[in-house]
Amino acid sequence: MRKFRFARSMTLGLAASVLAFAAPASADVTLRTLWEDVPEASIIEKLLPQFTEKTGIKIEVEKAVYSDMHDKLALQLTSPESYYNLLLVDYLWAEEFPSAGWLTDLGPMTKDSGMNLDGFISSLWDIMGRKGDYIPIIPASTYSMGVIYRTDLMGGAAFPDTLEGFVKLISDMKADKDVVGAAMQGQRGDPNSMEFSSYLFAAGGNYLDADGKVVLNGEASKRALSLYVEAIQKAAQEGALNANLDDTGRLMCSGKAFSMISYWLMLAPLSDATDCPAVAGKLALAVMPGGRGNGGGWGWGIASNVSDEEKAAAWEFIKWVQSPEVAKQRALLGHAPVQSEVFRDPDVLAKFPYYAEAEKVVESGVSFPIFTYTSEFEDVLGTQISLAASGQTTIDEALSAANKGLNDLLAR
Amino acid sequence: MTAISRIRTGWSFAAPGLSLLVVMMGFPVVYAFLMALSSMTLRQFQLSPFKGLGNFVNLFEAPLFWQATFLTMRYAVITVAGEFIIGLAIALMLQKVLRWRAVYFSILTIPMAISPIAVALIWRMLLQPNLGIVNEALKGIGFGTVDWLGDPGLALMSMAMVDIWQQTSFVVLILAAGIASLPREPYEAAEVDGANSWQQFYYITLPMLRPVAAIAVIIQLINEFRTYDLPYILTRGGPGNATDVLSYYAYRRAFLGLSLNEGAAASWILLLIVLCLTILFFNAIERRVR
Repeated sequence: MRKFRFARSMTLGLAASVLAFAAPASADVTLRTLWEDVPEASIIEKLLPQFTEKTGIKIEVEKAVYSDMHDKLALQLTSPESYYNLLLVDYLWAEEFPSAGWLTDLGPMTKDSGMNLDGFISSLWDIMGRKGDYIPIIPASTYSMGVIYRTDLMGGAAFPDTLEGFVKLISDMKADKDVVGAAMQGQRGDPNSMEFSSYLFAAGGNYLDADGKVVLNGEASKRALSLYVEAIQKAAQEGALNANLDDTGRLMCSGKAFSMISYWLMLAPLSDATDCPAVAGKLALAVMPGGRGNGGGWGWGIASNVSDEEKAAAWEFIKWVQSPEVAKQRALLGHAPVQSEVFRDPDVLAKFPYYAEAEKVVESGVSFPIFTYTSEFEDVLGTQISLAASGQTTIDEALSAANKGLNDLLAR
Repeated sequence: MTAISRIRTGWSFAAPGLSLLVVMMGFPVVYAFLMALSSMTLRQFQLSPFKGLGNFVNLFEAPLFWQATFLTMRYAVITVAGEFIIGLAIALMLQKVLRWRAVYFSILTIPMAISPIAVALIWRMLLQPNLGIVNEALKGIGFGTVDWLGDPGLALMSMAMVDIWQQTSFVVLILAAGIASLPREPYEAAEVDGANSWQQFYYITLPMLRPVAAIAVIIQLINEFRTYDLPYILTRGGPGNATDVLSYYAYRRAFLGLSLNEGAAASWILLLIVLCLTILFFNAIERRVR
């Protein structure tokens, strides 16, 4: 039944996209899109006049905090006609949205327009739900997780290459220096699920094995959660169990934290000497100790419940914004690239030397399980991590409950 | 005019308003009930096939649902008690104020006028353990810092504190209006009999204020059972399940679990609890009055 529904969605999506591509992009169409209110959005906004000048297509950008985006989009995409036609889709929704038939298949459009798909970092296609020629989402930006840390507090020591070494380092930092070892985002839900995932992947664990079997209560998971709880208790700031990305960013910016496991693109705002004078010029980026962290990114999609003209206009935008010239312009302004060529561009590297490490962070990123109930799983997992970190349950009980939760949701 | 024609006239005047009320309030309530009986999800946006009471059974079998229900009751009792005690104290104090009373009332209404989302955002910043003003102030006067929202043992109380801060002004206004409308004669008689202030308050003010106080308590109970904004902004139901109240649980079922039907069922249970409490409360008041 599930397969049939997927096939039906794909067929409908294919038909819709062929129709969409057949319709010319009209300058009368207004693109309406919902973006997360982060610096990245402002960067693209700066370039939008170029797009309107080139195509005549107007674009209205609405910004929201991440936590509101899913619900706002879901309500529109289940309505007879979506208000938003051009979509920015988080990779966590990369199974839910296409399988519900909410997205247009962009595969035929990429073929007809000759878009160079090989130029994108390959790990991003995995997390964006591409299945061969079926492409519901085109990578737009990446936010894989690495470690951002203070070089001035390292005293010339090398950055640890194991998770145990890292947890010891941040615990010692808190004990010995006038900083917290790690600004941690332990709030239940998306924040702590993403942070724990980096621990899990770094410990060599995963959520599913190669056969798709849930393996969240394995030895690597126990090691990862034990170290995560140790970090919360010995190295993190007070209030870590209710902290989210914004809180950790502010704490890091204030100079009161040694490190944060976070999205690599957070390094740009933290390096701004005007906004964060306490730490600007003292920060570096590293791949998660252990070699793998949580991968992630945003992608462009087109709503299926909008007119063909709107679909064509949205595709014009995606082509434009991902073109090599605009991708480079975006990167030079600090936007997270998705194409290897941009990461390695000499002008980009001259301006942002840490992009060399950032590319490694992105390439080594592993995906959180992407399926219809990903958002609910984040909630289930986040609750168990939070319970374990606050000492209300044991490591084994928490992992066992999360393991069962994932099994139940996959079977639903 | 006969009695029947008077009734007809009355109904004809009331009919437009009632119709609007039925459409505006009745439709969502009925539709939510149909959703609660259906298999509607965000992926399958249709009512059929109907599942009967299956969604309610699923909820009753979920330990987290019961946990959220009891937590909501605890939260409602804490906040309403806090709002009532503080609100009554302020209302009584304001009765003694002769100058600038309007100014005091205006200041008191400010929290009530701010949107709950804004209140939650402001307090989230204020209570931030590392950079927040509240902990800085505590440190300034020699106290240690407090993990207001990150400590599972304290998070619910911190959320209740924010709620009390915002909602108390409403209770003050209702009670102050009630106190102002009390007759003077019993107090004059009590003074002649030599009753002190406390005796006047306990034997005259409190009993006479009971109907007004009951209304304030009922309205606040309903408000507190519906609380959604505060856990959403302040804690996301955490740490662990420490602030996972029923309305937030319903939201999680509907929008994170994509199960609009189970979310609607949880909302209906919430509605029934509030309805029962309201009926019980009104009955108790009526018995007292009789």
